Amino acid sequence: MKAANKEDESFQRVVLKNASPHHYMKVHLELEDNSKRLSAVELKHFIITGLKNLHGEVGAALNFDVLKYDEETLTALLRVHSSGLVKLWSSLTLLGSYQNQSCAFRVLQVSRHVFCNYSQSELLVESANYCEIRLFCFSDVNKRPPFLSGVSVLVSADRKQS
Amino acid sequence: MQDLSRCPRNLLVCERSSFQNQKNRVSAQVEQMHFNYKVSLLLPDCSSAPSHLDKVLKSFSSFYLIKKLPIYKLLNEDFLRSAVYNGSVYGLSYQTHIDEDNCISLMPNGILTLSLDKDSFELLGFEGKPSKFNHRRRSRFVVTVNLTDSCMAPGERRYLRLLEGLKSRLPLQTDFLLSHHPGGGASLDPLLSCCDWSEHQPEVSVRSLTNLSFPVPESCDPHSFLQWLGAVEAGISCENSSNSFLSTLICPEPKTQTDCALSACVSGMLLPQDIQRLIGQLRCHLEQVRSWAVLTVHGFADSPMSWGGREHGFLRGGENFYSLLMSHDHTYQLHLAVGAHDACPP
Repeated sequence: MKAANKEDESFQRVVLKNASPHHYMKVHLELEDNSKRLSAVELKHFIITGLKNLHGEVGAALNFDVLKYDEETLTALLRVHSSGLVKLWSSLTLLGSYQNQSCAFRVLQVSRHVFCNYSQSELLVESANYCEIRLFCFSDVNKRPPFLSGVSVLVSADRKQS
Repeated sequence: MQDLSRCPRNLLVCERSSFQNQKNRVSAQVEQMHFNYKVSLLLPDCSSAPSHLDKVLKSFSSFYLIKKLPIYKLLNEDFLRSAVYNGSVYGLSYQTHIDEDNCISLMPNGILTLSLDKDSFELLGFEGKPSKFNHRRRSRFVVTVNLTDSCMAPGERRYLRLLEGLKSRLPLQTDFLLSHHPGGGASLDPLLSCCDWSEHQPEVSVRSLTNLSFPVPESCDPHSFLQWLGAVEAGISCENSSNSFLSTLICPEPKTQTDCALSACVSGMLLPQDIQRLIGQLRCHLEQVRSWAVLTVHGFADSPMSWGGREHGFLRGGENFYSLLMSHDHTYQLHLAVGAHDACPP
């Protein structure tokens, strides 16, 4: 963390760089059977399984929180330490199967602040679906979330065809 | 092998001062953030919105949504004369993503900004600069034009070149948000008469919160405070135990509790002058009730411009918001947050 101090009598300005310890991810789980529901505990366990599959026991020990969960829409807000974001995000991307049915995690938003995950710039009701899938760009984890959502869907689509 | 623990940088600027200090920069920061889409307010120890605050919340200026506006229409002579040259017109392309699509913004000082992908920029054939936030190669370019400049007056060579570019070489067309102009709807007629449009009033929502734990603002570090504030706005519980399986999010210590609090939210295309009025009314209210309040203003994530006309981008998130914590003794804490594809707020 770097801070630049500028103190002048009763005015103080500090710039904090990369000081936020956490990242927040809004994710949506899409299942082959749309009527299937998971509880928050089942969802967290499912994600831990994904972490273990990709990153082993060390990955499974990654601490993350399910801050909010809507069982009806299978949408969750996750909090993870910034150093574990890439591991968590990559695990979600490659989770393609839940109890023998195809599934995909759509990562809707990622931010260092909780605000940004419950705010959208789509003002009006007829606005586009924020979680539109982009079916290209496999490897770029440094871009807006829908790019990775495209990877998730493609993996499960392949499994459907096979 | 890439370090998996690295993340793109983000900045949080924290300013502390008093409204009575001549050096305070609240007004300047509010004015420099042109494109705001949401204002949220938290008032502890308050069960319902006082009438004067309710009135201010409901009096935010309306805005227009113009469907499929041909962008060259922004160079219409009548529109320039009646609206742009007089100032106070804010415009922003709607449902365009800054990292994928062509985005357009019009600032009240007459600066028109086109954030274009490489192909569009080459087609347009007008001078511009590469985006400061290009990923690996130059894939995005920014064309910035001052419409009030003499060289951009109708009939001048640069004006005609840009007009021809937008009309024939790159006929950009996009949904467009346009602010209400002090001169009335007639000054926006050149744009409104050529396309489908609708007028919208910013949406106001108010809810009461009960049994709310909140941190002592002076004793809380900025990130913890913003995390708590975001949790309250999103309806996330902060009453978790440290051994809870699902979430360990708690209210920062030291904390106190209130029986009731008010959370209000206004969303739409919100103008800085309306936000200034709200801040003024809040200060009067806080003087009477001897309490504190937090106002959070969010900028559009896909706006080409952010604070002070500086370029804005979207990497993993396009956050550009500020949070103003005000106290009854006129002191304030202002937190300005930007993501990786933003310059440091001025």
